[in-house]
Amino acid sequence: MTALLDLALQNLNPERVRRLLAEGSWPVAASSNCRWPLPGVEFSTAAGIPEHLAALPDAPPWIFVRGTLPGQPGVGIVGSRRATAYGRDLAERLGHTLGRAGYPVVSGLARGIDASAHRGCVAAGGPTVAVLGSGIDVIYPRTNQALAERILKGGGAIISEFGPGAAPEPWRFPQRNRIISGLSGVVIVVEAAARSGALITANLAVAHGRDVVAVPGDLTRTTSEGCNRLIRDGAQVLVDVDEAPELVEMLMGPPPARPSPDPPLPFSGLPATLEQLMERSGQSLAEVMIAVTAAVSAGRVVLEEGTVRSA
Amino acid sequence: MFATSSSATLVGAVPRRVKVEAHVTNAKDRFSIVGLPDTAIREARDRVKAAMLSSSFGFPRRALTVNLAPADLPKAGSAFDLSIALGVLAATGVIPRQAADVVAVGELALDGSVRPARGVVAGAVVAAEAGLPCLVPEGSLATAAVVPDADLRPVTSLSDAVAAALGTVESPRTGSGLPPPLEPFPDMEDVRSQPLARRAVEVAAAGGHHLLLIGPPGTGKSMLARRLPGLLPPLSRRHLLEALCVWEAADRTWAFGEAAPFRSPHHSASRAALLGGGSGVAVPGEVSLAHRGVLFLDELGEFPGGVLDGLRQPLEDGVVEIARRGFSVRYPSRCQVVAATNPCPCGHRGDDLVGCRCSQAAIDRYRQRLSGPLLDRFDLRVWVGRPGRMDGPRGESSNAIAGRVARATDRQEARGVRNVELTSAQLDEMAVSTAAHALLVAGCDSGSLNGRGYDRVRRVARTIADLADRNEVDENDVAEALAFREAW
Repeated sequence: MTALLDLALQNLNPERVRRLLAEGSWPVAASSNCRWPLPGVEFSTAAGIPEHLAALPDAPPWIFVRGTLPGQPGVGIVGSRRATAYGRDLAERLGHTLGRAGYPVVSGLARGIDASAHRGCVAAGGPTVAVLGSGIDVIYPRTNQALAERILKGGGAIISEFGPGAAPEPWRFPQRNRIISGLSGVVIVVEAAARSGALITANLAVAHGRDVVAVPGDLTRTTSEGCNRLIRDGAQVLVDVDEAPELVEMLMGPPPARPSPDPPLPFSGLPATLEQLMERSGQSLAEVMIAVTAAVSAGRVVLEEGTVRSA
Repeated sequence: MFATSSSATLVGAVPRRVKVEAHVTNAKDRFSIVGLPDTAIREARDRVKAAMLSSSFGFPRRALTVNLAPADLPKAGSAFDLSIALGVLAATGVIPRQAADVVAVGELALDGSVRPARGVVAGAVVAAEAGLPCLVPEGSLATAAVVPDADLRPVTSLSDAVAAALGTVESPRTGSGLPPPLEPFPDMEDVRSQPLARRAVEVAAAGGHHLLLIGPPGTGKSMLARRLPGLLPPLSRRHLLEALCVWEAADRTWAFGEAAPFRSPHHSASRAALLGGGSGVAVPGEVSLAHRGVLFLDELGEFPGGVLDGLRQPLEDGVVEIARRGFSVRYPSRCQVVAATNPCPCGHRGDDLVGCRCSQAAIDRYRQRLSGPLLDRFDLRVWVGRPGRMDGPRGESSNAIAGRVARATDRQEARGVRNVELTSAQLDEMAVSTAAHALLVAGCDSGSLNGRGYDRVRRVARTIADLADRNEVDENDVAEALAFREAW
């Protein structure tokens, strides 16, 4: 255990780690400049790794965990970092719907789809798992720092197989995708262009025996080409966000546990513009704003760009 | 022999009396004009001479000196012709000296008729202050009639002017007022749907708040902006006079009747065009032409950053000062800014119809161009999304909204300060209900309101309460104001 930690803190390439583990010995590095132990971060090996992840042939030998990692598989929501507003809205609503249904949402805390999915789930009060492609203490992009805090506060987890200080180098992201897939019972690809990292996750999910669900897009939108190709190749199709829990339940069984829901917000169908909320409720701007302000100060929604979103 | 008459010029946009002193001696035939005249005034010699001969007054073959006092003030334009002619006529004894003691504004044609020239408003103001009659070209009477208490005498020719100066004709002071606007402002009823943006325009009109409209192209931002002036109450005499003086200084023809002016400079406009400048005596820029009215900056993000920064001071102080060699001029610039901008470089952020493909970095850069102090001036920021449906019912008409706006404006006038100008200290004394205060605090606690933001919300809430004819700001007012704060 201590020996493994020593290896883990060296932040070596997983390929090399595998070789060293096979050989059964490795040089003990002088870990004087290593940021360890870190407050709130746990180092988990074999027994500490959830079964569904540990069972994979390419399972990580260890993971660093902040927060509480759910014991049951969740639903992976992945997609482009350069997402369109359409993609982000969908991801957020999906995260919200699945989170409320009790499924942990697993994603990568990247820009775009990832962040939106986490955000939706947190807003629904569900636990969400962010798998980093950088060291456990390196939030990348930094703009997601606040979101990371909210994930932890909301009872979710931030995990990484990379030790403290590991930079977000490009090769690490495909590596961490296998953990996203491993922690998920189903992987939903919200928006992915023809050559998107999300497709790596989808392929890994197939290799891991997970079901892949794709959100279809316009044929003319290059931003959805990857999704549409997944559908051609036999992925499940999501046609309605509200149906997502049913579809997921059919594919991977009922959610682990129903969370105690927050009192419902006085409005639904977020994100929505103030004008949409007015139209739906038939309320005046002042009435809508009183409700929105209450929800904003409770930290449950944000009002940005004229649009109310889940916080 | 010596006589004086009067005319007027504008120093910046302030009318100033110019005494026209004429002196004749029995030296040889000579006619000179001194007192920093420009070329147009120097050429007045030929016009005045021809006009006097054509009007059968004759022209003295003696040495004539005309001094425009104060002599160190640069003067320009053809409006001094009439007063120079009257001065000369009095100095040569053709008319009594007292008869020349009037304020006269107008250009002379060679046949002795009087043409409109710029300077009538200044002339009327000066005449009213000095208690003198004011001779104005007949064609400019309506404009000059804006000046209260001016004894206006419309004239069509030099002979006319002499008769009017002598008081031998009873000239009616016909102040039928300014002609109605050339083009009436478009009506708010054309704006279907868009309840939030419509309300923002109404609140802006009522409180004089600067308004920022953010949204994808084609959602009606310009349409809304162009309808704002139509909601404003007609200008008061004083404000109308200020505006007319600026327009006179710019040598532009006022075409807004008694309504607030509307200016919409293109984003390629130079700093000089926007703030004032140009060679020689600096002319007023758009920010001054929009004095007491609305300055619409479409595609705000496309204006060069330096130009926008230059706007900050005029908006803050209500006056632009342009320094020139030797002297500087000041033009008033108390205008209401309505700005429209796309939300991102591609313009389609938040657009359901077309997705936005801008990277976050590109969006951040785009916004940074508008960030900071200028943005701080906008009390109202509203996102104008794509309207839900194009075939919705017509909106409320401008007339109906203008009624509420007028009432709100009256309330502010009674308090003595427009809401847009309320300071933190004044806002602290504002009557706020307990629930409203709680809501304000809730808005602050959610972290999105800094000090300035807090004041902005309170100012807007005050205007919303005024629109509802309420003394105390209540919860609904604050809630609505919170919808317009939009951190950007």
